[in-house]
Amino acid sequence: MTGAALLRSLRRVGAMAGKETIHVRRDPRTLALALVMPVVMLFLFGYGISTDLDHLPLAFADQDRSEASRALARAFEGSREFEVVAHPMTEGVESLFRTGTAVAALVVPRGYQRDLLLGRKAQVQLMLDGADPVVGNQVLAKADAIARAESQRLAGAAFAGLQPPLQVKVWTRYNPEGRSALYMVPGISAFLLAITAVMLTALAIAGEWERGSMEQLFASPVGRLEIVLGKLLPYLALGLLELLLVVAFGALVFDVPIRGSVALVMLFGLVFLAGMLGQGLFISVVARNQLVATQAGALSAMLPSIILSGMIFPIENMPLPLQAISRLIPARYLVHGLRGILLKGNGLGVLWPDLLAMAIFAVGILALATARFKRRVA
Amino acid sequence: MGEAVTAMAGGPAVLARGMRRRFGAVTALDGLGFEVARGELYGLVGPDGAGKTTAIRALAGLIDLDGGEARILGLDPAHDDSVRERLGLMPQQYSLYRDLTVAENLRFFGRLATLPGAVYRERSARLLALTRLAPFVDRRADQLSGGMYKKLALSCALLTEPEVLLLDEPTNGVDPVSRRELWGLLHEFVEHGMAVLISTPYMDEAERCHRVGLVHHGRLLLEGEPARLLVEFERAGHPRPTFEELFVDSIGRAE
Repeated sequence: MTGAALLRSLRRVGAMAGKETIHVRRDPRTLALALVMPVVMLFLFGYGISTDLDHLPLAFADQDRSEASRALARAFEGSREFEVVAHPMTEGVESLFRTGTAVAALVVPRGYQRDLLLGRKAQVQLMLDGADPVVGNQVLAKADAIARAESQRLAGAAFAGLQPPLQVKVWTRYNPEGRSALYMVPGISAFLLAITAVMLTALAIAGEWERGSMEQLFASPVGRLEIVLGKLLPYLALGLLELLLVVAFGALVFDVPIRGSVALVMLFGLVFLAGMLGQGLFISVVARNQLVATQAGALSAMLPSIILSGMIFPIENMPLPLQAISRLIPARYLVHGLRGILLKGNGLGVLWPDLLAMAIFAVGILALATARFKRRVA
Repeated sequence: MGEAVTAMAGGPAVLARGMRRRFGAVTALDGLGFEVARGELYGLVGPDGAGKTTAIRALAGLIDLDGGEARILGLDPAHDDSVRERLGLMPQQYSLYRDLTVAENLRFFGRLATLPGAVYRERSARLLALTRLAPFVDRRADQLSGGMYKKLALSCALLTEPEVLLLDEPTNGVDPVSRRELWGLLHEFVEHGMAVLISTPYMDEAERCHRVGLVHHGRLLLEGEPARLLVEFERAGHPRPTFEELFVDSIGRAE
């Protein structure tokens, strides 16, 4: 390509991008989807996870019925984080979980007081409703803290520093990894970027088909790659703005640290977005219809980025086949990368494999989408 | 004008030869063939579903043919990108951006054609004056009347001053005054050497063309200069015939 031809090509890309920007400016829904939704989601996710939950309904199965077990119950109730809502037998706990009456059950076995008095290791069992792993983890952390405090009290000064006499044995089924807003915000960024980027592009390209303007574009001197680039650039910019917004809100509202380089965050965002825009493009090229493109876009962007990215569910806990599939999900690498940059201050030296994986996905899907994007209307 | 144009000056501007195309069980084009010379306004007339749109799309390189050939200025429009620099298309369906204004639509297609600023300003001003859209430059395309919209679409297709212009039912849904204006505009461009292929379901529009081809079931039933076709039809025993009678008669005999 000669210099003049390249210049003309860039002008056509600029024309496409300029036109697309007008569409975005004139369509409040697009802007809302890109800029308002992320902030709302961030608040929902962030507060849902970081705010302390008060008065969690606790079932207290006291099989010991002793002074010591009642003292333990008071310790839990006095914490104001738990509220004892039922005194079931052990067998009744399951139904309390099922109806949502309690999210946790503390079972004090027979002989608890005796063990304490004899100076033996006393065990109580905490059962968690793991259906909501976030609440489950909160309960776990708090119950552990209360039990420690109680055991310190029981042990008294004489036992200070020694092995505490009371140990809580915990059984959590779904989410053993402790989490907080710090951990969630980078994860949410991946999810939000994925969903908006895929949806916006899917809508934008399918819109050209639906509007009938694709026929006019195909008959004009603009090339396929120029159409693709021109359509994607505004959404790339919008996506990066969204990422900045999410990181800034995370830092200001949820005290998420930014220990690494913001430029690296943007670079990760850029490469990830390129892949997501390619995915949106591919969907719309195949679907040619905004409704189908929206649904396919939402599903293909949302589910993997929530379920398989490690945003909520730790990848290490997944069955091996799912772990393998998660390697194909770019969101996984962005979540890992952003956590590394923001929370640990990691640089490219550590995170380059994540960047490389996202870049491979982006190049692959863009190539596939452009190849499928034929200059034919039927 | 480059050497290629000079070299092709002898051949037809538009050449359709034995074009065939099926969509599933439907045969859209069944060996359709015709030619359009430079400076000629050729009308492809036929009822809905005759294959006019498919023929125009094939000539614009927007669909693949199962057989036969389509050539624009001697080039294969489906595979030679340089065709699009010299071709204008006005699709049948709405194909402009409805949330963009008249001026924005024009500017967008001008920029896609990478027209230099001065050239764009001169041409767009002239087209806006010709189409009398100048007072409406800031009006959004979705707020234009049907006729104004078609004139805008035509202006967008004409910005590049193409050597060949393909128009798919440009007068469909347009009021009689605007129709007359559109035809007037087309004749002006044809006089300057442009080859224009226009499709229309309106039989009475045939007389406005230099030559017409009657299409039915993807085949050419009848072709010639409108006046001559009418004379021949009259000689065949139809006193003072109209184009509608001529075409309906031809279609009836073909079926």
